[in-house]
Amino acid sequence: MTLTKKDVRKFLSEYKIVALLIVIAIIWGFFGYLTYDSDLGGSQFLTPRNFSNLLRQMAITGMLASAMVFVIVAGEIDLSVGSLLGLLGGIAAVLDVTYAWPLWATVALVIVMGVFFGLMVGWLTAYLGIPSFIVTLGGQLAFRGMVLGLTGGITIAPVHQDLKFIGQGYLPELLGNAGGVLLFLVLVFLAFRTRVNRQKHNLVVPTMPAEVGRLLFAGVIILGFVLTLNEYQGVPVPVLVLLIILGVFTVIGNKTTFGRHIYAVGSNMEATRLSGVNVAYVKMMVFALMGLMCAFAGLTTTARLAAGTPSAGFGNELDAIASCFIGGTSMRGGVGSVSGALVGAVIMASLDNGMSMLGIDTFWQQITKGIILVAAVYMDIVSSGNQRN
Amino acid sequence: MSDYLLEMHDITKDFNGVKAIDGIHLQVRRGECVGLCGENGAGKSTLMKVLSAVYPYGTWSGEILWEGKELKARNIRETEEAGIVIIHQELMMVPHLTVAENIFLGTEPRTSAGFIDYDRMNAEAERLMARLKMSDINVAVPVYNYSGGKQQLVEIAKALNKNAKLLILDEPTSALTTAETRTLLNLVKEFKANGMACVYISHKLDEVAEIADTVTVIRDGTHIGTLPMAELDTNKIITMMVGREMKNLFPREAHTIGDVVFEAKDISCWDVTNRERKVVDSVSFEIRKGEILGLAGLVGAGRTELACKLFGCWRGDHEGKVFLEGKQINVREPRDAVKLGICMVPEDRKRHGIIPLMGVGYNITMSVLRRYTSGGFIQSEAELAEIQNQIIRMKVKTAEPLLPIASLSGGNQQKAVVAKMLLPEPKVLILDEPTRGIDVGAKYEIYKLIFELAKQGVAVLMISSEMPEVLGISDRVLVMGEGKLRGNFVNEGLTQEKVLAAAIGQSITEAA
Repeated sequence: MTLTKKDVRKFLSEYKIVALLIVIAIIWGFFGYLTYDSDLGGSQFLTPRNFSNLLRQMAITGMLASAMVFVIVAGEIDLSVGSLLGLLGGIAAVLDVTYAWPLWATVALVIVMGVFFGLMVGWLTAYLGIPSFIVTLGGQLAFRGMVLGLTGGITIAPVHQDLKFIGQGYLPELLGNAGGVLLFLVLVFLAFRTRVNRQKHNLVVPTMPAEVGRLLFAGVIILGFVLTLNEYQGVPVPVLVLLIILGVFTVIGNKTTFGRHIYAVGSNMEATRLSGVNVAYVKMMVFALMGLMCAFAGLTTTARLAAGTPSAGFGNELDAIASCFIGGTSMRGGVGSVSGALVGAVIMASLDNGMSMLGIDTFWQQITKGIILVAAVYMDIVSSGNQRN
Repeated sequence: MSDYLLEMHDITKDFNGVKAIDGIHLQVRRGECVGLCGENGAGKSTLMKVLSAVYPYGTWSGEILWEGKELKARNIRETEEAGIVIIHQELMMVPHLTVAENIFLGTEPRTSAGFIDYDRMNAEAERLMARLKMSDINVAVPVYNYSGGKQQLVEIAKALNKNAKLLILDEPTSALTTAETRTLLNLVKEFKANGMACVYISHKLDEVAEIADTVTVIRDGTHIGTLPMAELDTNKIITMMVGREMKNLFPREAHTIGDVVFEAKDISCWDVTNRERKVVDSVSFEIRKGEILGLAGLVGAGRTELACKLFGCWRGDHEGKVFLEGKQINVREPRDAVKLGICMVPEDRKRHGIIPLMGVGYNITMSVLRRYTSGGFIQSEAELAEIQNQIIRMKVKTAEPLLPIASLSGGNQQKAVVAKMLLPEPKVLILDEPTRGIDVGAKYEIYKLIFELAKQGVAVLMISSEMPEVLGISDRVLVMGEGKLRGNFVNEGLTQEKVLAAAIGQSITEAA
């Protein structure tokens, strides 16, 4: 009895991502079964079209969650991202609709402003020592106020076609396939390089069959992903952007001094400072990165709706934070991964999408998501309980 | 039938197949004090966690008999009810609660209406403190007002209040002053006379020799021996602990002392919370290339504060000039110090030394990570190679270079922290209590390293509360007391008495 419990724990803590993927499979299977309709020739949830929709829905939350992971790992929190997304999306809409700026100028200015606001939040937190909870709670109100002022409380539409492409465009089939193949080759290359390097320095490496199995599994997922999306209209642009962010951020987290310092600051800030690391700068730059992602998410939101609305991004910060925690980020800082957070975002989006499709009332959707969040974190505590002793 | 209060037989505990302790025996009679000795990582803490049911019955094998009956406790509450109370190395006080509230935490006396009965609680607390001969403590004042030593005694009062029959003291004197240690040892003797049993875990073997009746030594998780203290002396205990004869505790090596490399002038620091209180008072000193400068003093003398100021991490107000190789320098943050070649190994390893969730290797390279990057990316090849080098050089015992550092023993953690502060190739190395709470073997390694560094021309400033260590290592000894520099002695024919007298302020400075 204790043995099996221990085994489950060990499995969960070592293969967190696998466990989460199983959860996704269960959720999809569940909704797939419930939306089965023989008249329409099959399940309505498990169609390429819905898969494409689902991914586009999660792209915005995913962008925010990618940077939110670093914020939480660094031991901070950012409650202002939903409002900042709204503000930056609103700015994009005004520039595009009212002033008819060219796309590149709109995008550039929105990105600059996103980074600027992020730096400001980071500076207040890291250099002036105001807790990030307070700074960003204030930011949430202030940024939302700015959106309302900027838009005058009305929807700004319609945006130009080229801006719309950012949120609604699709990648041509050929490009999608090529991207998939390239991604797989890069993964294989990296896996074997890491393997050789680790072996050289007495580090544990997975057995060869396990490694090959892992890569094959990844290959199947990539293949299925690209083929399914191509069956509909191709890989959506926001999803592509999100995948690039995933790659870049994973590299930042694992392969750069900045990334290493983020994890160190979250694990023990004083010890990191006494090691000669500029901890205030690290924290400020984490918020700058968060601001940058708000800009991406803001542009995507405006493009997707083809309009700037005063309520854009409302409550998105909570979805992003929940995605991080579902994906195994630790409340105490120091632990978390971008890929985990994105899997968390897929879980959240699947619940949204599936329940909407079943016509479940919004209030039930919220209750369910709340329960899932708490349950997921409890699972995480159970699975890490083994390691803490 | 047995006259033992506690018998632990054949205790084995493994973590995922790795045996932390293997077949350990421990027996304690009423009114007896058993000294439990072993190097860090030998399994002392694991054994005590088994006894106090931090590891509940069933997660280990073997048998515990308590007052002749088998004890199958599932949590600490049950062992405490039985009368087994542990006082941990780290104090478990809630700083903002009063002394009395801390003593009665969880067992608060209530009035009939259900509120806390403060009158009864304070009176009872005062009675307990009087028993500990600490009547001068105000039990209605938050506990943070008192020094670590007094807090330790409050901790003991808490144990007495729980009607402990067996008191386990885990490194109780590691943060105490000499006087406080004295009080504690006398108390333990008095408890013994009253029939209380005690397990005393300490690296300070002279304390063990003084109060233990029996000594049990464990090494690498196995039982080495249990002998009456009458048949032992500290040297024999050390031999049992390390498994080899330790002839010379301090491996002195000749090294040449060069020119003045670092100079501090009129350094003063003020307390962080109480901004009027000076904790360091116009201290000036210099240190030469290749010199080992000991900094002695009692706890609270301002030594750590001075070190913090020099390393750029003192949070309170401070003033004074610092010169490195003749040039005045301005150190505002630890990173400035590291860049200039001043490194510090902090006193509190857990809070200031290690980054617990990270691998040993990543902890080591934290100070110089940029050295292994190109274009902003970490070159894992180069980094891992350096990690390997350091682990071998410092003899860090770890199963894998990237194992989380928190899972290593204290001595190995300390070696990694020292490695981290050596990588920037410091000209001046400040070591604040570098051997606190680590075992004899690791101590020896660190002493050897200090001499090696001095030979290479590094100026070493070593803060230590262990007098034999200061006298055994230093070329010169500074003594601080109440924030002031009270002595500056060349370490020739210097005695503990002389240093202590200076620390307490009995004799006036005698220039070197």
